[in-house]
Amino acid sequence: MSCMKPTITLILLSLATLSLAQVRISGKVVNDKGEPLIGANILLKDTYDGASTDANGNFSFTTDEHGAQILIVTSISFEPLEHAVDLSRNIEVSLTMKESFNELEAVEISAGSFTAGDEKRRTILRAVDIATTAGATADIAGALNTLPGTTKVGETGRLFVRGGDDSEARTFIDGMLVMNEYNASAPNTPSRTRFMPFMFKGTSFSTGGYSAEYGQALSSALILNSKDKAEMNQTDIGILSVGAEVAHTQVFEKSSVGGKISYTSLAPYYELIKQRLDWEEPYSSLDINAAYRQQLGRKGGMLKAYGKYNNARLSYNQSSIADPTKKYLYEINNEYAYGNLAMQTPLNERWSLRGGISFTHNVNDMRIAKLPMYEQENGVHVKLVTESSLNEKVEVRIGAETISRNYSASRQDSVSGLTQKAAFDEIITSLFGESEIYLSDRLVTRVGVRTEYNSLNRNLTVDPRVSLAYKPFDKGQVSFAYGIFRQSVKNEYLRINNDLNSERAEHFILNYQLTTDNRTFRVEAYYKKYLSLIKYSLLEPSLMNNNGSGYASGAEIFYRDNKSIRNADFWISYSFLNTKRDYLNFPIEATPSFASQHNFSVVYKHFITKLRSQIGATYSFASPRPYNNPNLEVFNSERTPAYHDLSANISYLPKSWIIVYASCTNLLGRNNIFGYEYSAVPGSDGVYAARAITQPAKHFMLVGVFLTISKNKSVNQLPNL
Amino acid sequence: MKTILTSAFILCACLMQAQDKYTSAMLKNIDALYKSKTSEEYQSSVNAFDRIASTEKNKFEPYYYAAFGNIMMAVNETVPGKKDNYLDLASANVDKAKTIKPNDSEIIALEGFVHMIRVTVDPQSRGQEYSGKAFTAFNKAVALNPENPRALALLGQMQLGTARFFGNDSSEACATSGKALEKFASYRPASALAPHWGQVMAEEVKSTCK
Repeated sequence: MSCMKPTITLILLSLATLSLAQVRISGKVVNDKGEPLIGANILLKDTYDGASTDANGNFSFTTDEHGAQILIVTSISFEPLEHAVDLSRNIEVSLTMKESFNELEAVEISAGSFTAGDEKRRTILRAVDIATTAGATADIAGALNTLPGTTKVGETGRLFVRGGDDSEARTFIDGMLVMNEYNASAPNTPSRTRFMPFMFKGTSFSTGGYSAEYGQALSSALILNSKDKAEMNQTDIGILSVGAEVAHTQVFEKSSVGGKISYTSLAPYYELIKQRLDWEEPYSSLDINAAYRQQLGRKGGMLKAYGKYNNARLSYNQSSIADPTKKYLYEINNEYAYGNLAMQTPLNERWSLRGGISFTHNVNDMRIAKLPMYEQENGVHVKLVTESSLNEKVEVRIGAETISRNYSASRQDSVSGLTQKAAFDEIITSLFGESEIYLSDRLVTRVGVRTEYNSLNRNLTVDPRVSLAYKPFDKGQVSFAYGIFRQSVKNEYLRINNDLNSERAEHFILNYQLTTDNRTFRVEAYYKKYLSLIKYSLLEPSLMNNNGSGYASGAEIFYRDNKSIRNADFWISYSFLNTKRDYLNFPIEATPSFASQHNFSVVYKHFITKLRSQIGATYSFASPRPYNNPNLEVFNSERTPAYHDLSANISYLPKSWIIVYASCTNLLGRNNIFGYEYSAVPGSDGVYAARAITQPAKHFMLVGVFLTISKNKSVNQLPNL
Repeated sequence: MKTILTSAFILCACLMQAQDKYTSAMLKNIDALYKSKTSEEYQSSVNAFDRIASTEKNKFEPYYYAAFGNIMMAVNETVPGKKDNYLDLASANVDKAKTIKPNDSEIIALEGFVHMIRVTVDPQSRGQEYSGKAFTAFNKAVALNPENPRALALLGQMQLGTARFFGNDSSEACATSGKALEKFASYRPASALAPHWGQVMAEEVKSTCK
């Protein structure tokens, strides 16, 4: 009997297999509009059995399974579906799938901001675009000045956004505030951003209505996200007409280290190209950068450390306006250090934590006609943010930060010989919270609030920020943004009166944006109200108050296309600006001298494979700017001529690891006039003498050779240029 | 005693049957995958691997082939946004395969393949980042197994693409794909489910050489 047992078992087993005939499952899968879904995957749970739907959404398969089973249906961009079936006989099912929420397809808030970077795929301006824009010579501010919302103020090279001055546009690296972000320069000559575009993987340039996370910026937030861990070892060498640079990156399993040293000296260049200024010691600088990246854990945590040191010096002979033969020496030695430590890590499935600390040290050691003038600012910014996707449609962000600044300045009085001093210590503590809620994939809202306590003026403030975006059709969306923004008054005023309130701006922005593959069109209209601006009278400048006010309104158009012309990419920006202020020593409400009503730019880039070259050209126009002629009755009533500039650049790659680069500004050879300076006192004839503020030279030319040495010969510095 | 033996035998048979079921299902689908030409056919194959993967959670092959199918769909796709969607899926499948079998030359090569196709979506802005990632992956795959012909074929393809982008000569790519073809000739698959693709790619690169 015992011998029989296995035999019986075997027979029983085979009988069982035989008796269970196959069952056919067939049906149709449709979306919620009843349209058939092609390529949907139907699976009988815990088996291999299943099928894909055909062009009509139909499927059919057989299985050996029986009884109560579960069908799982999946398809890209649809929510997975489970459907219980009874497999006692052939069955036919009809299944309807619901579209899943897709962040990439969904509406996003675009009012006020230009986002660049590879992470978000539908970008308006990529990091590489910043580096290759003609006329910008790889300067971030220079490239952003071709976007709508900016006003060209050629004698500064800085960002002026929507009727705001250069101090109102702030820069953040990995969420941390940067102070004194421009290199030293002689008065009324353009300066460059201290940070090179290649350091960043993503750039978000917001001309208003930005998130509650960003404070101390009245007009604009430039949010730069530094690159992650480097992928390969490489050494880069650059030899330029104005200096030389060398960089090296070393990669480890979970970390990377990089460093770059550059030396810039304009002296040889100025020997060749005639300059307007009478240079004693032309600009020279030593710039040292170091970066460290460490991956934390397995779930995408990252530690980023970055440090920069820069020492720049220059001196020139400044002539007196009234008598150009009288000259005095203007000397400046600028020392700058910036450090930034940023960390992010997931806490659990839903929550993540990021934070950082940044440190800025800036010293201007100046001598004007041998009289010393000294200015020092140290700042520390500490920030901690926790954020979570509560579910796929709700995100929250809560954070706290402190920005402390320590400022001191001194100067020797020319008459008394005494040293005057001024200083302040300011601590701004703030809490912010923000939530982004998708009411559907066509409607999203972001509601935030930022509170700040300022230790100097002892004000506790609460500023709301609200944005809304709606996408009525598959393409094109409308967004709206509103917010109150606040910023401490400029150091030159705060050091005289420590009690001054912060200046305020209220933004209203309406935007329409249409993005298709490789084409972007947007229009934006805005109104901005300025409150609590600094006001003082010429008679008693030390009696300053916050009674100033102003407004800016305008409309902007942007179109970008890298599809219509093969191998080419271009964008066109136009901005209309209408702004007036009653602030500083203005006797009446007037348009400030940095504001021009119309700004227009066309940027064109073309890659010619045959010549192994990329060529680019940029044309910029700004309408006349007001300036004040003290010889006239009416304040700020004079207008400069219009500004025109045509710049071009070329990058040539004789080998994939060598780039030869050349660029030149002002090909039209115009003598652009940015405004006029007047002597402080009228001459014997009762007339205030005038001097035009012009370009430092007719053209700025840059020629360079860049070499990349790495194991892999196909890598070069093109994206860095 | 006999009972125990018989039971053991039956148990063994059952296990073998399970193994066979996996292998035979995989072989059938791998064959279908290699024969796919249209996106619908690739989708259907990817679906089949997804179904097997949903049951066989400890096998890396279904993820490997699903990723390969996703890459092919990305290659066939013309809309850049959709290309990225397929590559995201491929990347997720590669990651799962990597978790099951870390430091596998074939899987790392496939990872590089994903990066390589990312470059083609927008070479100007992605070139630096993703070509770096692709080269790193291909070189690692070759280092892990110098006999892996696919790692060499992909490396050659990548070298050709970069040389063309910069208008350089393709001697490096030719040498690599020549070496890949030698390795294809001597290639002995480690198992029935080991990959077979890639020879055509190496031949195509080689055919552009003088």
